[in-house]
Amino acid sequence: MKKVSGAAAAVVAAGAAAGVAAVVSLRRRAGPGRLRGNVQLRGTFWPHGRLRLRRGMAAAALAARGGARYAGGAPRLFAAAGEHRQRLRNDLALQTAEDVAATLGAMKGVLMKLGQMASYVDDGLSPGVRRTLSRLQDSVPPMSADLAARVVESELGLPPGRAFARWDPEPIAAASIGQVHRAMTLDGRAVAVKVQYPGIAETIAADLGNVALLRRMLRITAPSQDVDALLAELRERVVEELDYRREADNQRLFRAYYDGHPTISVPGIIDELSTRRVVTSELADGARFAELEGWSQEERDLAAETIYRFVFRSLYEIHAFNGDPHPGNYLFHGGGRVTFLDFGLVRHFTPAELLPLMGMVRHLCVDHDPEAFRRELVRAGFLRPDAPLSTDAVIEHMAVFYEPVRENRPLTITGDYSSAVVRRFFDMRSPVTAYARIPRSYVILQRINLGLFGLLGELTATANWRAIAEEIWPFVQGPPGTPIGAAEAAWRARRQAAPSTLV
Amino acid sequence: MAVTSRPYPTAAGLVERSAAAYVSGVPERPADDGLFGPASVTWKMSGDLGGPIAGLRSLMMQALHPLAMAGVDQHSGWRQDPVGRLAATSAYLATVSFGDRASAEQAAARVRRIHVRVRGTDPVTGRPYEASDPALLLWVHAALVESTLAVRGLFGTPLSADDADRYVAEMVVAAELVGVPAPLIPSSLAGLGDYVASVRPELRCTPAARESMAYLLNPPGLDEDIAAIWQDIRYGAVVALPGWAREMYGYNAPPLTPPRREEVRQVLGVLDAVFLGEPGVIEARQRIAARMRTARLA
Repeated sequence: MKKVSGAAAAVVAAGAAAGVAAVVSLRRRAGPGRLRGNVQLRGTFWPHGRLRLRRGMAAAALAARGGARYAGGAPRLFAAAGEHRQRLRNDLALQTAEDVAATLGAMKGVLMKLGQMASYVDDGLSPGVRRTLSRLQDSVPPMSADLAARVVESELGLPPGRAFARWDPEPIAAASIGQVHRAMTLDGRAVAVKVQYPGIAETIAADLGNVALLRRMLRITAPSQDVDALLAELRERVVEELDYRREADNQRLFRAYYDGHPTISVPGIIDELSTRRVVTSELADGARFAELEGWSQEERDLAAETIYRFVFRSLYEIHAFNGDPHPGNYLFHGGGRVTFLDFGLVRHFTPAELLPLMGMVRHLCVDHDPEAFRRELVRAGFLRPDAPLSTDAVIEHMAVFYEPVRENRPLTITGDYSSAVVRRFFDMRSPVTAYARIPRSYVILQRINLGLFGLLGELTATANWRAIAEEIWPFVQGPPGTPIGAAEAAWRARRQAAPSTLV
Repeated sequence: MAVTSRPYPTAAGLVERSAAAYVSGVPERPADDGLFGPASVTWKMSGDLGGPIAGLRSLMMQALHPLAMAGVDQHSGWRQDPVGRLAATSAYLATVSFGDRASAEQAAARVRRIHVRVRGTDPVTGRPYEASDPALLLWVHAALVESTLAVRGLFGTPLSADDADRYVAEMVVAAELVGVPAPLIPSSLAGLGDYVASVRPELRCTPAARESMAYLLNPPGLDEDIAAIWQDIRYGAVVALPGWAREMYGYNAPPLTPPRREEVRQVLGVLDAVFLGEPGVIEARQRIAARMRTARLA
């Protein structure tokens, strides 16, 4: 029960727009290199961190965003993105589809994917398997230039040299079961092209069919129904990630929604250069997460605020949650402006799935009605209806997860706070633990704990999270609580004035 | 047979110690390409997922020789520290395969020195034995080579007939290294088959063999994950044995259907992934891969 109950509590928190750094801070102690995910430019931002402050340039790139104006910055961008090139073992590049199969076949691709999602399963794994999952990614060399070109040709019908005006044969980053090349489109836009390893989608899909083995690997000490729900959710998400068209759709959705947003930007997808195994999106540039270390606390707070707004706006407004709040998925431009990358792991929620989350935070933090909060927990499946616990005990157990949004005051998300939450998260002695579980629909929300609040803790971000949450909570719709909030309100007003194609 | 009453210790650390042994055998700055070199079939074979099954199967074959088994049983640290004994063998094999010539020869010299002291009488057949007896060394050698090929054929990508012949021929030097005269050593696939058939009348499953293999097939004290995986590894090794060897042990294995083969391959992949998670293994693999790449380009 240990894992599941902790997760349940955390998910409650996530839905509450409160949340915490739970598992993440564990990760931080384990070293930043372990915080891996499904990133567009994985690995550049962490340990080899040379500080490069190029805010002015990045801001220019942001201003030049979109259409023809973007083309002006393209050649420079094309060159600049290469500076982020990660240390890929190009000397060991995979030459053939057989090399790919030898490297990622026989379950290893599946384990690598699970490793990226290890947040779901961390607590159920033996130390050996956990180490495995975290290191497997490092063992996968990139595709050779030739092999990547063959994939592009089979997907786009033209070799990269003809499909693009310029094509950098050397990948700039590893990506989810693929790698990222920079290129320039025939009409002069700088782009990032994600190319999937050939044959890998089929292999992974087939290996995911061995549920018995996966269950053994995950070996979670929870009732089997929970393990199966977890596995089913993981399999569904992994299978979705194998089809880049799905990712492109998600990115389009987020981009369309945030169009014109004062601080949030999402690179556009180049439709005609995106297929099942290749996805082409505008190349953005900006400061990496690691570079924020050299920024003022004020700037860091603003960046944190935008990330926070992005996550919960998306959840409440487009009913979608980008399940991959990995540090590599952000580019920072100063003034709180952030570009969001990689939409491979997006969970869409039905209103029926969202309503209990809203109910919980509302009852606990706004209406102050503990019994209603408890009823909502039970209704959503987080707490067994027959749990012989006092409501006070339940609240006492859950309250820490809602800490940042319980009171209307500025609060700093620190490492200490995260640690406290971690202790609660894995508190086996709590009587509540035995009666809590995590319903399948909310499994992915747990990533919030891994990514989002880990990042905020890393930034030691201060904000009045309650005021921001109130702006976002549909049942409050509070007034702007910050300058970004004011700019966002104006953006929303403009949006509402214009006919929307969304939702 | 008093020894048989002594229980074997736990097999905990099997993966960790095997991995450390492997890493220790793959040099960072070798003085030369060693006995085989990066263009060899031997190196190519080393990347096969089936290693653990091949290792287990070859131990099962080797153990069927009463004198070889008696030597291991009565002299090596096998009973006191089976995992350590296996790790030492892994380290030796890695050094001979990937080390430079000096390291390989040094490791072999050490093994030869140890072998001199290993002598006694097999309690089952009553025959005297010496570990430095070329006949025993050759059986141990041939069982490993034959198992590697058999397992690759069943669970990996089978070698071409040419490559299989080349592999057997390349391996001759490994047998010479421990003291087998070259003319005795099979140097082709057909020769290897003939040799194994010629030894068959001497083979039998002694109590020591049965007991040692029972331990290996079900090692106590493994991590729960690894123990679960081991069931498939064990099946793979047993199903890969020649029918007559399986009968000597009295093992049954359901036939290797395509779904069962796939299951074993998946488990091998998982085990390989666990292995890769051990310190230094990825880097050791990369050292090998980089040298093979360079050799291919040259």
